Amino acid sequence: MSDHHPSDTTLALYAAGTLPEGLAMVVATHLTFCPDCRRISRTFEATGGAILSDLAPVAMAGDALTRVLARTAEPAPAQASPALRNVGLPAPLDRCDFGRWWPVAPGLRWRPMRVSGRAWAGLLAVAPGRSMPRHGHDGLELACVLRGSFVDAHGRYAAGDISEPEHDHDIPPRVDSNGTCVCVIATEGVRMRGVLGSLQRMFA
Amino acid sequence: MAILAEPPPRRGTARPRRVLGFRRVSQAERTVVEPDHAALIRAIADRADHEAFATLFGQFAPRVKAWMLRSGATDGTAEELAQETMLTVWRKAALYDRDKAAPATWIFTIARNLRIDAVRRERHPDSLLVDPADAPEAPPQADQLLHKSDTETRIKRALSTLSADQVEVVQLAFFQDKPHSEIERTLKIPLGTVKSRLRLAMARLRSALEDLA
Repeated sequence: MSDHHPSDTTLALYAAGTLPEGLAMVVATHLTFCPDCRRISRTFEATGGAILSDLAPVAMAGDALTRVLARTAEPAPAQASPALRNVGLPAPLDRCDFGRWWPVAPGLRWRPMRVSGRAWAGLLAVAPGRSMPRHGHDGLELACVLRGSFVDAHGRYAAGDISEPEHDHDIPPRVDSNGTCVCVIATEGVRMRGVLGSLQRMFA
Repeated sequence: MAILAEPPPRRGTARPRRVLGFRRVSQAERTVVEPDHAALIRAIADRADHEAFATLFGQFAPRVKAWMLRSGATDGTAEELAQETMLTVWRKAALYDRDKAAPATWIFTIARNLRIDAVRRERHPDSLLVDPADAPEAPPQADQLLHKSDTETRIKRALSTLSADQVEVVQLAFFQDKPHSEIERTLKIPLGTVKSRLRLAMARLRSALEDLA
């Protein structure tokens, strides 16, 4: 059972299907660890159901029902379930498309995830005792710990915990586990400081 | 206690029964108010009932289309996705579990997933949302199951307690794949206000519904 959870708003956007893909992947990862958040997420899905049934209807095409009924006679297309690509990562990350690991700084490796939408996402592996890169937030940022742990001003984050910083990190999160800390991270916009910031500005 | 008993209603009078306190409305009474959508889904699953499907289609297809339009889809795409949603309802009818979700909620999740697929055009869209059916969890308690069908009524009640401002941000959050900063521009209110309105609205919804899901 994890101690740090996504905010209600984030869970609602996830349930509404309006969270960008990268951020949705981080929430989905947390949900595999957290039955409480699965329950809350279903509550928000029910909110979507209530909103849907209250919408003013918009007329369908005249032959819509006939066309759909005609298609019900066709056999349903076989649903290819996504291939297992990454043994050892929790669902749903085990079926995601990742790039290679990149060493980005001493004790810091980054593995980008191929996602659509405006958020970018990936795995961050940080060596024991090292700090996460210093950065500020322009949009929503979510991180879910997969292995190891880190601490920041709000507490300690272990496997399954979500960090959803509201403000910029004044003190960068520091890995306090004996082993490497691996997180899945997604962000709508990050202003990196220090070395990574220079890199980001060079390639932006 | 006889003094508290209501006199038996006279035959032939149309006087509506008063709902006292938290008296539960029986399933039979509820079906008078609106068609039992869960029974329609069952009829589709059990005997490929075209008439049941037509009723469900009439109720939900135009609303799914409305939702797709408000989410930014073109008219053609909204029509197509609404048809696709109803086709999926037909195909997956046997998987519907009325103890897990109200019909509108189930149909909402189907529409949502189709919309996500359409927007992202990803190779592996199914992995994007964890299917609660796949996730291990404790079995729901009996009384939660009994309350399931009341969920929507209670959500509507909870939504009606929100301020107009809160409803506005909730709707934008539910319909549109927009960053908060864009909601800020749409509504012309500062980002901090968008965030706090959303937070208050979601917290209120959640606390009103906490025991339901």
